[in-house]
Amino acid sequence: MVRIESMGVYLPEKVLTTEDLLRSCRRRPRWDLERITGIRERRVAVGEYAADLAVQAAERALSMSGHRAADLDAVICCSISKHNRPDRFDLEPATAVRVRRAIGAGRALAFDVVNACAGMINGIYVLQGLLRAGAISCGMVVSGEHNMPVAETAARELRHSFDGQLAALTLGDCGAALILDGSPDGASGFHWIDLVTGAKHDHFCHSRPSRRGHGGALFTKARGLQRKGNQHFPFYLKQALDASGWTLEDLQHIIPHQVSVRAIENGVKAVSRFLGCDLPGITRCCADRYGNTTTTSHFAMLHDLILRGEAQPGDNVLFVSGASGIVISHAACTLDDLPARYRARFGTGG
Amino acid sequence: MRRCRIESLGVSPPRRGAAGWGWGALRHAVAAGKSCLRSSRHRPADVRVLVNSGVHRDGHVCEPAIAAYIQHRLGINTEFQGRRTLSFDLLNGGCGMLNAAQVLWALMQGGDVPVGMAVASEANGDRRPDPASAIAASGAALLLDISPRRDVGFGSFAFRTDDTAADLYTSVVDLTVRRGRLLLRRRAELEQAYLAMVGAAVDEALAKEGLSREQIDRVVPAQISAGFLSRLPAASGFPRERVADLTGQLPDTISTSVFLALQRSLAARPPARGEKALLIACGAGVTVAAATYHF
Repeated sequence: MVRIESMGVYLPEKVLTTEDLLRSCRRRPRWDLERITGIRERRVAVGEYAADLAVQAAERALSMSGHRAADLDAVICCSISKHNRPDRFDLEPATAVRVRRAIGAGRALAFDVVNACAGMINGIYVLQGLLRAGAISCGMVVSGEHNMPVAETAARELRHSFDGQLAALTLGDCGAALILDGSPDGASGFHWIDLVTGAKHDHFCHSRPSRRGHGGALFTKARGLQRKGNQHFPFYLKQALDASGWTLEDLQHIIPHQVSVRAIENGVKAVSRFLGCDLPGITRCCADRYGNTTTTSHFAMLHDLILRGEAQPGDNVLFVSGASGIVISHAACTLDDLPARYRARFGTGG
Repeated sequence: MRRCRIESLGVSPPRRGAAGWGWGALRHAVAAGKSCLRSSRHRPADVRVLVNSGVHRDGHVCEPAIAAYIQHRLGINTEFQGRRTLSFDLLNGGCGMLNAAQVLWALMQGGDVPVGMAVASEANGDRRPDPASAIAASGAALLLDISPRRDVGFGSFAFRTDDTAADLYTSVVDLTVRRGRLLLRRRAELEQAYLAMVGAAVDEALAKEGLSREQIDRVVPAQISAGFLSRLPAASGFPRERVADLTGQLPDTISTSVFLALQRSLAARPPARGEKALLIACGAGVTVAAATYHF
């Protein structure tokens, strides 16, 4: 079994409230975005870019790991936002190569795995495959999301209250990194990782350079995406529970992709309807404070849970993700003593 | 370890002049994928994982994964019903397809992925392309499955990256221009950097299987340039006649290059049973990849 040996999360210090972001909009939407999404604020990187956020997170993960950077056999970077300089979107070299160079992982295989907001779960799936096949013995899955340039484009270009770029105002910046290796006890680690793409629904969300001005832009049909996702993901969630041999009582935490507080509440209702019983209050949410940090959001949540003392060694965690594509993913994981080690290393300050 | 083999190979080669109009990256990827599926004994629904390694995309779309668009257009398990497919992008410049092949090989070892597909395509679809950033648009697709024979399929993979030379090859989208503009920059020292690493990558790939250079019947490299191909035999340690030099027919097509060359090479001289090939890819990073393949 493959376990999370170490984790690093980097949240930039600067806080931007939803109200301040809305004030910067050329045409302010009529909706009360904070009420609709439940997002009060998010973190914003200043003078740092996507690869920098990934490197910060990677260094934090290495600082509490038993593995040195030079021992890593693979670095897989899952960032969607490859904004590494102002007004530039990097395609080559792979962001993983930049991270590899910055942390000194001199022998690591390095490539990017990109699959929208399911990127890090997808990266774990790929790394797990390489570990199980014996191609590597340990590796890093990392992501740095510098999403604010996309939110800034939305603030400049929103034309009306139903504009497709509205969802870009929910984004925030964050970096996250995991170091994975084989579980020494066979009890902790990932019991089940499953991803499925319903490509017929690839039209709900896409990101590309703006046609109206400069900058990258994100276009989302948020209601359609959520409706379609909620229609299908509960089946896969049940399947993940069954495959892991768990019932709801065995779970300590469900960590969904942090799209928005409202979207998570709707997801909980959809699961409850499908299962025919109420979900216990174990669905975790930090979107109110960090916004939607895309690929990194699950681990920003886990970081928060650990530092608040709510995640303990041996806890069972179900990561749930819905992403544009549409990709539905689930990862069932038992934590080893990671929470204790994480608190010992980062205290309560992160 | 079970080997994973190329069950089917499909390509969408560069089209010259007016014949290439309207051929963007997605159209090439889908054409290559359809060609691959046509010549395969597997049905589209059998594909459990689809990996796209094409770096440059139509409209510079960065989300969702382009692999999802390809899956949709190839009609592979597009709905959340019955058989399922996972699609994602794996990006590593010119070496991406070999990375994808290795990842699919690894996933097949677990047994839950019996059939996988690796697709790549490249094009510069800008309305007013930067003159220095031209890309010969093309596509390539591989259908991989678990080989029914122990001695047929991919043998070993080796990847060498010199990240101190990462700036020799950059590809960025300039977002100050409406719809973005691709800027591809390859420094003059790039080919020398590839050649400096190719020997080590070949050594590693061969050593993993205990093979010597004499046992390799055919070397299929990325068709970087005629100058690169002329220096490759000396740098890699293979005699010139065993190295497939198709630079007269094929330009450098980045991620698709090795498999376009493999298709041409196999069409010109079909492989004999037991023949061994070495595939060599080069890309940004700077990364050189080598993989052995047993026919």
